[in-house]
Amino acid sequence: MRWLRRSWKRAAGIQTGAGQERRFTAELESHIQMQTEDNLRLGMPPEEARRAAVLKFGGIEAAKESLRDQMGLSGFESIFKDIHYALRGMRKSPGFTVVMVLTLALGIGANTAIFSLVNQILVHPPGISHPERLVVVRTKYEKLNLKSITDSPPTFADARDSRAVFEHAGAMRTLDLNYTGDAAPQSLRGESVSAEWFDVFGARPSLGRVFAPEEDQPNADHVVVLAHPAWIRIFGADPSVIGRTIELNQESYRIIGVMGPGFEWPAPVDVWVPLALAPRALNPGNRFNENLTVVARRRPDVPFAQANAWLKVLADRVLNAGTPGAAFAKNADWGLFGVPFIDFSAGATKTPVLILLGAVGLVLLIACSNSAGLMLARTSARAQEMAVRAALGASRRRLMRQTLTESLLLAIAGALVGLALAYGATFLLLRLAPEGAAAGLEGSLNGYVLLFTAAAAIVSGIASGIAPALQLARIDAHETLKGGGRASTAGPARQRLRSALVIAETALALMLLVGAGLLLRAFTQLEGVNPGFDSKGVMTAIVSLPRKQYPDGVKQAVFYRGVLEQLRNTKGVKDAAIGLGIPFSQYGEAGGFTIEGRAQTPGEAVPHADRRYVTPGYFAALTIRQKRGRVFTEEDSLETEHVAVIDENLARQYWPDENPLGKRILLGEEPCRIVGITGHVMGFDLAADSGKGVIYLSLFQEKRAIPVAWIMAKTTGEPTGMASAIREAVRAADPNQPAHDFKTLDEMVASSLAPRRFVMRLLGFFAVTALFLAALGLYGVISYSVTLKTREIGIRLALGAKPGSVLVDVLSQGLRLTGIGVAAGLAGSLLINRVLASQLFKVSAFDPLIFASMAAALLIAALLASYLPARRAVRVDPLSALRAE
Amino acid sequence: MVLKTLAVLGPQHGYGIARRIEQTSENLLSINHGTLYPVLLKLEQEGSIASEWGVSDNGRRANFYRITKTGRKQLGDEERGWQQASEIVARFFALRGEEK
Repeated sequence: MRWLRRSWKRAAGIQTGAGQERRFTAELESHIQMQTEDNLRLGMPPEEARRAAVLKFGGIEAAKESLRDQMGLSGFESIFKDIHYALRGMRKSPGFTVVMVLTLALGIGANTAIFSLVNQILVHPPGISHPERLVVVRTKYEKLNLKSITDSPPTFADARDSRAVFEHAGAMRTLDLNYTGDAAPQSLRGESVSAEWFDVFGARPSLGRVFAPEEDQPNADHVVVLAHPAWIRIFGADPSVIGRTIELNQESYRIIGVMGPGFEWPAPVDVWVPLALAPRALNPGNRFNENLTVVARRRPDVPFAQANAWLKVLADRVLNAGTPGAAFAKNADWGLFGVPFIDFSAGATKTPVLILLGAVGLVLLIACSNSAGLMLARTSARAQEMAVRAALGASRRRLMRQTLTESLLLAIAGALVGLALAYGATFLLLRLAPEGAAAGLEGSLNGYVLLFTAAAAIVSGIASGIAPALQLARIDAHETLKGGGRASTAGPARQRLRSALVIAETALALMLLVGAGLLLRAFTQLEGVNPGFDSKGVMTAIVSLPRKQYPDGVKQAVFYRGVLEQLRNTKGVKDAAIGLGIPFSQYGEAGGFTIEGRAQTPGEAVPHADRRYVTPGYFAALTIRQKRGRVFTEEDSLETEHVAVIDENLARQYWPDENPLGKRILLGEEPCRIVGITGHVMGFDLAADSGKGVIYLSLFQEKRAIPVAWIMAKTTGEPTGMASAIREAVRAADPNQPAHDFKTLDEMVASSLAPRRFVMRLLGFFAVTALFLAALGLYGVISYSVTLKTREIGIRLALGAKPGSVLVDVLSQGLRLTGIGVAAGLAGSLLINRVLASQLFKVSAFDPLIFASMAAALLIAALLASYLPARRAVRVDPLSALRAE
Repeated sequence: MVLKTLAVLGPQHGYGIARRIEQTSENLLSINHGTLYPVLLKLEQEGSIASEWGVSDNGRRANFYRITKTGRKQLGDEERGWQQASEIVARFFALRGEEK
């Protein structure tokens, strides 16, 4: 109770500070005078009496200081004084302040920018409430080597009806929509979603409303919800669009809502339309026809493991249904499972993003060591001032707090500058970020990020202030004053600490350099990979023909033939082709097939292959090697026998000991004769090609309509000019259909490497920053030690030492520190490089060449950093050096 | 000690308390007078003593401290505590005497 009362009084004491101060002064003065009078009475001479009284009292200022400390609540007042004092000190040495603030700003700013990405990708995806409760439902066919694919409508219905486990479940399928407004037709990225889709994510519209259950029916009126960015881009953020009717795929849709900013998953998306599943889509027969992305929100009381177990229960029901489908499912080892939403949405970006976060953390560590080194140097320079303050009655704790206040203030200033840097950097990052990975991410810095920055500032403030503060605790006021601030500044302990900091910096910098070097090496290896086709000179574009005008393959074939005809007659076009699925288009279609005359053993996996529908010119346009037989010709049509071309991998997998040419395979009901074998083409990933076999089918032998097609035009020169040729050809074939997503094939291949390039560039940037900071730190230490040894060097030179030997001395000091740092850094790299392994390609995580070259680079930088002070040492004038002492 | 002094002497200023402590201890305890004031402030904040300005015996303005009710209670507690402690210590000394 007593301490409570005391605290209250102390808190109250803050306000009445000035009055209290007067009281103490008066009280202490009266005390001294009374003592003086008594002394006088004892017969002391007046001077002596006062002196004895003061002596008896002890330090008046110390007593006052102690009273003051007790007055304010843990010395609030004195904190203001500390801040005031620190600000004055910062103004007095602007050079020091600027270097400190910039160093910390660099570290904190880079961390803030990266954290902003991490936060959006891994913690708080924009526009989604409680993402940790979202589960993505996935289907697998273990025996078909399909580990995680989309779900079928019956599976979606099962999840939706599991109300005890899932609050909401929604399904989504992408579709391209041709929007014909006032201007030229344009293609919008659309998603058909079930009515509950937005409830699953907790996403709210900023205008109007989202779909009602009755609108999610096959014959309901066409309605559409706009994504926020699309609303701004296409409709100029006009709030009166609600209720307006627009033409999508030549059908009318009424706009009923605009989604709030932020929610755009899976990005990119411009418009949402109802999924409107027909009742027959939910038939059990449709169980293995997967075309929906299903996401469900767990009830708050249902843990993830339980939701996952429930999905297994649902799957077991299907497996034990005793239907023919169930037998197939058992053979293929079919099943359902859940993936936490963040893991699913972050996907392959998770590791790179975490690597970057780690790297940028190392940069902050280096920045902190650097600023700690600077603070130490400054504390040394101010040792005398501190000693005087200590002698005057300042307590150790008070002096330490002063130092920490200074470093915290500097860190806060650094954080403010860093925030500005981060603001710019985040936008830059989003520009640099691979297409797709950055879609839907925001450049703004939200509350979480600001909180992070504040924490980073405090931690780095303490980290850079703690070493000098502890040094202060060991200051011997007496010795320092006696030494006139000369000898003591050389404090070997302090210099040792600074050296240790430099060694740590060097080690961290080397670790970053090695990491960046390895990624760079892996990247150049990847660029040298032969994908099995030639992307040079090929321009591509997408057309998506709406079902209403082009309901079947025959109608579509007329359009495609028209486009190709027109393209072939265009000057500069060497080859033209159309395909559903071209390499690096992200489009993949795969399916099982049976080989005629070969019995399927039960329990064995069905033969499975990637499928591509192509026109005859496809192989020429992509320069795909022809191994045996022939490719498609104009003579292959709906009237002639169905033919297929397979790639060497499929041939090797299923016809290892025989010639597949002339053999027939069945895809569904349709038998196809294999007429040719081509080389294998990497279709998705240069680093990790699955090697899966491919069946090519002729686009002109396809009865069904295909949803989307890639048009390719190959030229001998620059392909960019081909864009207008493709646009013209499409317009000539049907003026209502837009060609979109113009990209050269080179760009498409390069963008498959974009995530790697992004990580490599950023890590490279961080490594160079680290190298620079470490060199700066080393420069500071060497330069300082040269200053301290000016006298020694002067004497040596005066005694006839060769300047060369002085130079070597200083350089070797720098190299010794760096050497230890390099050794530590190499050891550290060996320890942590495992995390990089997944990002490497044809490079060992312990590549000796990279280790050696990066160590060399660091040593060269160190040599340079110590050469500058060394040169200064050599130029020391013995006479003035001695006189200066 | 401060509380006891105030309890015995009545209201007293800082200098008086310091002198009194020295006298009582027959100068065995010679404190730095400066260290007395933080103690006084602490006691005042705890409510064991109160202070007001007054005029000293020789006509000088001084801050007089007096013990409060809380202070007397605290004094009682502390006296008992001390007594107990010194008795225990004394018993140990006695013990050693017997062993000899």
